[in-house]
Amino acid sequence: MSDASDTPGVPEPPPEPEAPEAEPGSRIGIDSWVAEADQRRARGRGPLGLAAWGWESAPDSTKLLAFVAIAASLPFWLLKSEGDLFNFGLFTLIFVGLGLGLQVVVGLAGLLDLGYVAFYGIGAYAYALLSSGYYGHHWPAEATLPIAMGAAVIPAAILGFAARRLLGDYLAIVTLFFAQAFLVFTNVTNPTLFGKGITGGANGIPNLDPLTFFGYKLTSTKQLYFFTLGTVVVVAAAIYLANQSRIGRAWRASREDPLAAEVMSIPVNRLKILAFIFGSAVAGLLGAIYAAVSTAAVSTNFNIGVLIILYAIVILGGFGSIAGVFVGAIVINVSFEFLEPQTDYPSFKRWLFYGLIIFVIARLKPWYRAAVILAGTVGFGFAVHAVVAAMAGHAWTTGKPISGAGWLTHWVVIPRLNHGNFDNFLYIGLVLAVMLVASLKGWWRTIALAPTLYLTALVWENVLVTSPGVTALILFGVMLIVLMAIRPQGLLGTSRVEIV
Amino acid sequence: MAEPARKALLELKDLSMSFGGLKVIDGLDLTVNGREVVSVIGPNGAGKTTLFNLITGIYRPDAGEILLEGGSLVGLPPYKITQRGVARTFQTLRLFLNMSVIENVMASQYGRTKVDIVRAMLRTPGMRREEREIRRFAEEKLSFFGQRLMGYRWNQPAYSLSYANRRRLEIARAMATDPKILLLDEPAAGMNPVETHEITELIGQLRDEGGFTILLIEHDMHVVEGISDRVIALDHGVKISEGSFEQVATDPRVVEAYLGTKATVTK
Amino acid sequence: MHHLLLFNIIDQIRALGWGGAFTLLRNGIVLGSLYSLIALGYTMVYGILKLLNFAHGDVFMIGTFMGYGVLIAFGGALAPTIPFIPLILLMFAVSMAGSGVVGVGIERFAYRPLRNAPRIAPLISALGVAFFLENSAQLLTNSAHELYNGYALGGKNGNFGPLLNPVFTIDQVPVTVIMVIVVLTAIALMAALVLIVYRTKLGKAMRATSFDREAASMMGIDTDRVISMTFFIGSVLAGAAGVMYGLYIGDAYFFIGFLFGLKAFTAAVVGGIGSLPGAMLGGVLIGVVEAFATGYAGGQWSEIVVFGILILFLLVRPTGLLGSPAIQKV
Repeated sequence: MSDASDTPGVPEPPPEPEAPEAEPGSRIGIDSWVAEADQRRARGRGPLGLAAWGWESAPDSTKLLAFVAIAASLPFWLLKSEGDLFNFGLFTLIFVGLGLGLQVVVGLAGLLDLGYVAFYGIGAYAYALLSSGYYGHHWPAEATLPIAMGAAVIPAAILGFAARRLLGDYLAIVTLFFAQAFLVFTNVTNPTLFGKGITGGANGIPNLDPLTFFGYKLTSTKQLYFFTLGTVVVVAAAIYLANQSRIGRAWRASREDPLAAEVMSIPVNRLKILAFIFGSAVAGLLGAIYAAVSTAAVSTNFNIGVLIILYAIVILGGFGSIAGVFVGAIVINVSFEFLEPQTDYPSFKRWLFYGLIIFVIARLKPWYRAAVILAGTVGFGFAVHAVVAAMAGHAWTTGKPISGAGWLTHWVVIPRLNHGNFDNFLYIGLVLAVMLVASLKGWWRTIALAPTLYLTALVWENVLVTSPGVTALILFGVMLIVLMAIRPQGLLGTSRVEIV
Repeated sequence: MAEPARKALLELKDLSMSFGGLKVIDGLDLTVNGREVVSVIGPNGAGKTTLFNLITGIYRPDAGEILLEGGSLVGLPPYKITQRGVARTFQTLRLFLNMSVIENVMASQYGRTKVDIVRAMLRTPGMRREEREIRRFAEEKLSFFGQRLMGYRWNQPAYSLSYANRRRLEIARAMATDPKILLLDEPAAGMNPVETHEITELIGQLRDEGGFTILLIEHDMHVVEGISDRVIALDHGVKISEGSFEQVATDPRVVEAYLGTKATVTK
Repeated sequence: MHHLLLFNIIDQIRALGWGGAFTLLRNGIVLGSLYSLIALGYTMVYGILKLLNFAHGDVFMIGTFMGYGVLIAFGGALAPTIPFIPLILLMFAVSMAGSGVVGVGIERFAYRPLRNAPRIAPLISALGVAFFLENSAQLLTNSAHELYNGYALGGKNGNFGPLLNPVFTIDQVPVTVIMVIVVLTAIALMAALVLIVYRTKLGKAMRATSFDREAASMMGIDTDRVISMTFFIGSVLAGAAGVMYGLYIGDAYFFIGFLFGLKAFTAAVVGGIGSLPGAMLGGVLIGVVEAFATGYAGGQWSEIVVFGILILFLLVRPTGLLGSPAIQKV
């Protein structure tokens, strides 16, 4: 059937010294040396390096099994309490599932889907309407989960079709608007159907049924955890397999260069809409599970803040990397939960915080640079403390940190009274400083790093106590900006796009 | 050189295209017969790449016909045109840089394969069979380039390839769509003399061993001279000369188009 | 009271009559002038960078806060320490200049490092900037609605000032001073923008850059500067819109940037993205549609109706009213 069937499929034995008149053989050697550089670098020293290398070279199925084994054991040692399992375990898994769906749309097909949370919400409301006393339907989960997916798919298909001619640019704005319209619809519009507001307005729909499969109810956190784990693994495997097929290759080709893909026989728009629908179906499924887990569907749980968290997960993990979604979700959700009530275990968190800062400094390459930064940070702190004490009076410097740690009071400026927006401005200042540092180079960065680190400590001791939710979200916003500038492919992303 | 009993594979009839009042292609007639290498030459801005964009459906002509084996291609989306049997390379390389070498060549087989997403996720036997065939076909196309794109290179990302190898990979990727006609847009651009010589031989092989029909845009006259069965010169979207390389190269209108001499004024 | 929305709408149209329709049209045109000003910023940046600058709506939001800050610094609208005309002019000046600087800063730190990155990177960065600005504003203002009390400007002891006096009346529907100010300022700024784009050297450089950035830079145009200026001009317009929003609608609030920006962007798309007259036309169209939706169907439907318009346009005329189909460069 092939035109070149007379050409052997196997390479003929190589003509001994490379093709004679071609570029000298060493060129190829250089190419392969360059190509393997990443692997060599990855094979770091020490047990950590060995572990990383082992992870790199393990087959993907082994990685997934390792994850399942660890995740399945967690409820029996690390997350023994119901609350920990709920906050750290179950919610991380839900975020993993959501991140996976988003990864298909954003990472594989390269579409900026900003309405992803709306499909998540649609799934949740579908479950709420069909499996609760709200309208008196108590359908079992084996019926409502597929319906929730379908309910998310239909609007996705319509949106994708509407934006098909200019998918790349307009999909972003259309979906962002869709997310907002969904919020307004559920929260404010709430049209009446069968004598009731269809979405329950701002209160949402409460008292949902637990997930019930063929009469078997999942009620305990542990049951829900294992069910969600199973779902997430199935979703991850499905996406992995799709990615390894002609569909996945076509997705990635369309992401890389839509025009070239189209000319290489790939119907780009159709495939992008397929990815968009696929992602929306995953979001709908997770939405239904989320509704069942939290026993309510409330529109504020599907706002733009959640969208940013999901994007942070996908981007931190890396574009197009399925394993990255797991890492991203774990890092983001655990740190989010961790930051929330800082009053829990304050001294432990403080040690972790300063430990992390020192670890980051110690990792800097020439040792004297690290030394300069460390000395600079410490010195800068004492100087600022002295200046503030002299200029503004002792009321500004004699506040107490949350727990003990009296040694800090001579270094960190902690006002005794609440000075208006002092801490909030500090925080915004820090964020801007981080962006500035990220855009500086060389010694300028080193010099700017010392005050920034001090500012970080200042913020840590002053702010996070008072308004954790918003600050964490600001952090995610900035993380997106800084990551895009420094390492756009994310932590585990491999794509390297060259500058032409 | 050309054998007589060939029938037309690609026919352009009275093709016209203008951008904002500027005629880029103007009433062009062109025929490419099966198993023939036809070169299109002409100064910059003569409309050569536009011609390729018209044939592959990236642009839609204002007037005229494009026929492949008698069937019209006008108005079809690019992917359908490629599925009908027209493949091309780009003058400014457009590889899928973050995909591996072999994945580039596997991706372009989308149009000639069938497995849908559900079967892909279920890994059905039919899917595995097709996947094996896709890989085999890709390896076969890559092996056309001898040692250049073999072995360890298959799993490297395309961005790690040298410039010349990228050009080769573009050709392999186009070949993997299983086309009847290959449109090569300056395959020798940016190559050194050795590589240029190699690519010239390769194009000959593509015709003789691969059985492809080739429409070629090239500035390097050594390449054009070396392999063309027929040469067509374009200027300002109009065909100004057609024939063997010698005929075209010595045609005063062609010389004028390139050098802008006003000595002999022709209409 | 009918259950079906359609009957409600018909009832409402009957109840409001011609005077009501005229009021809605008036409200729509004034609101639409604000959308137009913001839409111009979106369309200019898209034209030159092919970037959806999600943060633009939040620049507008910051503009409303800057105007408010000036107002408060001079005693607030109820007891201003300087006469009200220079006060309003000062609010415009500070908000426009400040927003311009914010816009340039965003471009410098969030977008410039990504000039050669894949296209999705600056979009995500834009999302991050929007989110950062919005939540920072929320944090710094404690989610407060800061009231301009613009009605009192120029009045004695907190009484109504001249801004709400009718300039003229059509069919008993008054058109007030502030409405006239909004529409005339918008027209003047758009005229100035058109002059800049089509009559100055900078405008020529902007058009060249938007046509082909690489070629423009080879022709000796400092494209980075041109892009900075584009952000500056767009943000200045948003800053002006911010002050007028505060004076006309009444408050500064951290979330308005998102909603207003979204609708203004819809206006840019409906008008034809990349087209300056299109952004103006689209802005007024969206403003009028929203006003009628609010008047006849109720405020809870206004966003959904505007969204419907966006979808409708994408389905029927994706290039917008005045946009031309783009030619792909290969």
